[in-house]
Amino acid sequence: MTISPFLQTVCQLCLAGFFTASAICLYRIIIGPKAADRAVALDTLSSAFIGVIVVLCMLWGEWFYFDAVWILTLVGFLGSVAIARYLEKGRVF
Amino acid sequence: MPPVHELVTAAALVLGTFLTVVAAVGLLRFPDLFCRMHAAGKAGTLGIALVILAAVVMLLFAGEPQWSFAIRGLLAVAFQFLTTPAATHLLARAAYITDYPLADRTALDELKEYLPSRPDYPAGQE
Repeated sequence: MTISPFLQTVCQLCLAGFFTASAICLYRIIIGPKAADRAVALDTLSSAFIGVIVVLCMLWGEWFYFDAVWILTLVGFLGSVAIARYLEKGRVF
Repeated sequence: MPPVHELVTAAALVLGTFLTVVAAVGLLRFPDLFCRMHAAGKAGTLGIALVILAAVVMLLFAGEPQWSFAIRGLLAVAFQFLTTPAATHLLARAAYITDYPLADRTALDELKEYLPSRPDYPAGQE
């Protein structure tokens, strides 16, 4: 499946937007005063990476990496829940 | 003039990217964790759902429909809508219980009567 020049331009602009969002999230992960701030920033960072994967799939016309999207969704959820439980109770299980 | 399905794809893609960037900017600019969660939880979820839906529209309407990948995309959207609110809620609860300091500008803390802070909370007991 080839991509039209119009969509290609839009995809490249969106890629730039996602990289901007990832950079801001990384900055928050570095400065975030507490662990909970970093966890939230990590969640948003995984969203931005999902966006990057989707846009790259559209640009390249190769959809084999599309599985990474829902896998990243599930892994990000498990990571957030584990961090939240550790912060609240001092242990994960 | 591009065909309609490309216009829909481009619109969803641009809106999703915009919402993700808004979530990141909110994460950077808001004063305390709970405000940041407000930005990240809402805008982030809808943004990524729109981006995946753009890919699904492209998979189904540009050339031969590829149902196997489109269904995975819809599944990812469903997972995102189910899991992100739960994860955000759990993190906010954990942060509140462990006495995360609220911003100076906070006017009202209604949760104080219902959720005791850490010293009273039986940590480690179900």
